[in-house]
Amino acid sequence: MKRVVFTILVILALSGGAGRLLAHHSFAAEFDDKQPLKLTGTLTKVEWTNPHIWYYIDVKNPDGSITTWGLSGGAPGQLMRRGVKKDQLVVGSVVNVEGFRAKDGSHNGFGSKVTYADGRNVFTATPLDRQSTPAPAK
Amino acid sequence: MAVHRLSRWALLLLAVSALSTFPPLSAQNTPTPAIPRTTDGKPDFNGTYQWPTYLPGDERGRSNATIFDRKRFAPFKPGGEPFYEPRTGDPRHDEPRDFCMPAGFPASILSGNAMQFFQTKTHLVMVHEFQRNTRIIPLDGRPHREGLEPMFDGDPVGKWDGDTLVIDTTNFKRWALDDHHYTNPNEFRMHSDALHTIERLRWKSPTAISYTITIDDPKIFTAPWSQEFEIIAKPEWEKDGLFEYVCQENNRCPGGKCGGEK
Repeated sequence: MKRVVFTILVILALSGGAGRLLAHHSFAAEFDDKQPLKLTGTLTKVEWTNPHIWYYIDVKNPDGSITTWGLSGGAPGQLMRRGVKKDQLVVGSVVNVEGFRAKDGSHNGFGSKVTYADGRNVFTATPLDRQSTPAPAK
Repeated sequence: MAVHRLSRWALLLLAVSALSTFPPLSAQNTPTPAIPRTTDGKPDFNGTYQWPTYLPGDERGRSNATIFDRKRFAPFKPGGEPFYEPRTGDPRHDEPRDFCMPAGFPASILSGNAMQFFQTKTHLVMVHEFQRNTRIIPLDGRPHREGLEPMFDGDPVGKWDGDTLVIDTTNFKRWALDDHHYTNPNEFRMHSDALHTIERLRWKSPTAISYTITIDDPKIFTAPWSQEFEIIAKPEWEKDGLFEYVCQENNRCPGGKCGGEK
């Protein structure tokens, strides 16, 4: 039953425009769409705060060291109205995150999608927000 | 007999009168929407709503915020103030909202978040979840305030035109008109400090408000222009109400500078 509810929530989150969540600022203000990220790590903390949620994952490097990445998502209110709740990001879980790196090159980025090992997705935002399209004609 | 003839004439006159006075049968059959009304008979806009959304066929931006459709724009005034403003590389210029500066009207109401309206006989209060932007609109016939500095949201006053609420807003600070810069990261669309907006709100059905914004900016355009949007009632959002929005709470990467790990 829990699984069914989760699936429905994810479908709800994906429907109705499939994201386009950034409202506080444009994607270009903070992130670089030429630096896509694909990370796998352990979710260590979730900040369900405005103006955007942030969550943190510990990523194991080839030399065995750990790098903590901070990942930004949508505004809590927007996510909750789409059926995405804080408890869907389970601290301690191993997750795959897709997104884009921060413009300053730090270990921060825009994480649009979190995927658990069993394939479940939590859409915390979407790459549709990135602005890589050519400038439209005036 | 004379009385009988008179009655026939009276009936004929009545029939002609009825045909000329009443709309065709098809129009009569169109039900008048049972719009919400307050106890004093005014249209009732109390409630929770989705932000103004596009009508079919209108240009859509690449964020969840609604933007104006360029085909609505009036021609630019020759020698007028520039409407398009390029980014300069200075983050405070290029995206002040990333430093928690306000969206400013009309971008504020077009932002993709829930809204709640509170209406009394004397005021309409429009609260937008984004930045918890609040517009307090007097409906008591008072004029615009004088002697104030220009404002991000301007100075609104409202009045009723039949079942339409007309909100007239002046005294704006020069600021981004809408979220066009989400769609085209190279530039902003700016309104001038001469901006004057006229909003018209009218229930078009029991669940949808027709919302038209007129942009009258004589420093930029040769004439006022308007665009109609739709505001959908969302009673299902009332259980949760508006969520808190404190931009400064965790604004981690202002201007793209995240400052390393946290």
